[in-house]
Amino acid sequence: MSESAGNFRQLQSANRRKTFTLLAAMGALVWAVVFAAMTYLGKSTTAIVPIAVGIALISVWGSYYFSDSLVMTMTGARIIEREDNPTLFNLVEEVCLASGLKLPKVAIVEDTAPNAFATGRNPEHAVIAFTTRILQIMDRDELQGVIAHEMSHVANRDTLVSAVAATTAGAIAILSDMLMRIMFFGGMGDRDDRENNQNPLAIVVSLVVLILAPIAAVLLKTAISRKRESLADATAVAFTRNPAGLRRALEKLQNDTTVVAQKSNAVAHIWIESPLDGKGVSKLFSSHPPLEERIAILRNMEANPL
Amino acid sequence: MKTALLVIPLLLIIVIWVVVSYNSLVRANISADEAFAQIEVQLKRRADLIPNLVESVKGYAAHEKSTLDAVITARAKATSATGVAGVAAADGQLTTALRGLLAVAESYPDLKASTNFLALQEELSTTENKVAFARQFYNDSVRKLNQAVKTFPSSLFVGLAKVSARAFYEVENPTDRNAPQIKF
Repeated sequence: MSESAGNFRQLQSANRRKTFTLLAAMGALVWAVVFAAMTYLGKSTTAIVPIAVGIALISVWGSYYFSDSLVMTMTGARIIEREDNPTLFNLVEEVCLASGLKLPKVAIVEDTAPNAFATGRNPEHAVIAFTTRILQIMDRDELQGVIAHEMSHVANRDTLVSAVAATTAGAIAILSDMLMRIMFFGGMGDRDDRENNQNPLAIVVSLVVLILAPIAAVLLKTAISRKRESLADATAVAFTRNPAGLRRALEKLQNDTTVVAQKSNAVAHIWIESPLDGKGVSKLFSSHPPLEERIAILRNMEANPL
Repeated sequence: MKTALLVIPLLLIIVIWVVVSYNSLVRANISADEAFAQIEVQLKRRADLIPNLVESVKGYAAHEKSTLDAVITARAKATSATGVAGVAAADGQLTTALRGLLAVAESYPDLKASTNFLALQEELSTTENKVAFARQFYNDSVRKLNQAVKTFPSSLFVGLAKVSARAFYEVENPTDRNAPQIKF
């Protein structure tokens, strides 16, 4: 496994490069869908493209821009002040000094499962939240690792990255849905265009692209999410220079079988340990890399300091 | 007309390139300044904590005079140190002295159990971490600055931006040095 080799700097640039490739692949997928639509249904179908992208943009943009307040409401997180937990604030301040980021808002989620998340559209609006349980079971170094992982999401602008991925995947889903409907109703009086382009192979390929595109988009979206998680682990080590802290924290999460009560699909990807990716779920569809893999990579970093 | 079409965009690109390089050098220099200021803030916080700590240890272990004195002297040196190298050296000595003091505290169960001492210990460990992270962030900023100063093409604008390579903040850590050498 090439990913488990190397120090945090190499891992950071590798994961950044992979995110870029995956986003480019998503762009190519949009292009393929548009091209398939043009082949199968004629040139006038390109008029749907701005509509689909527009719908996707509006629906995702709102949840990106208001991510801090929206996620807080959905997870029941409550903002706390320094007096409520001075040690936690000390740790957050430590990570802020290590990362050069501003102090984020800190929130607590009443939950019996250990977990944490970060949200907010930019570092100025960042919120990092912890369940009451994670604060009970983690020691100082482990909690520092968890905070560094969350602050890495803030530093790497992962709310933005996942919003871009969600917009593109959404646009592809809407686009292929609309096109499939049009196909069922026999096109929009666009016969002339279609007659000119009767290469049967091109038509079959186009149909396959239109059918498979939404699934491919979801796979690309979850792959991006997994790369951002690996990147956040590597960036966390860049901040703390202590892979053992985060590694022990992940081991504690692995040994704990409880899952956060709130299991909404919409916010599953933001937690440090996914509440949805069970054993039965294929790795391809999960928003996080398996904990064993993340722990192995961190162990390798312990063996390869700088 | 044709030459103008060719020359004007070319000039524009060069101007933009100069501005971008100049700004990135100046920006790297400012962030190194800020990072150093942050180290000083954290060192000040630590210096402010020490009198309290010394007092609370004295209450239980007054006869550990040499350890207490070492901390007080190191603190005095640290608060008067100037320049990156001077501050770093004094900082290293104080860190060592504080470790000695906390090691002494280990053998006084009453002291270790006192709430005042526990609160101080948390404050001290977070401040030690903050000092360490502030140093690390400063060194990262200096690495970026020095890279820009020494590599082509940004090195062309060093004189124009009035920036220069800086020294890293290196703390002498005697415990690292005395670590036993493993030989096979």
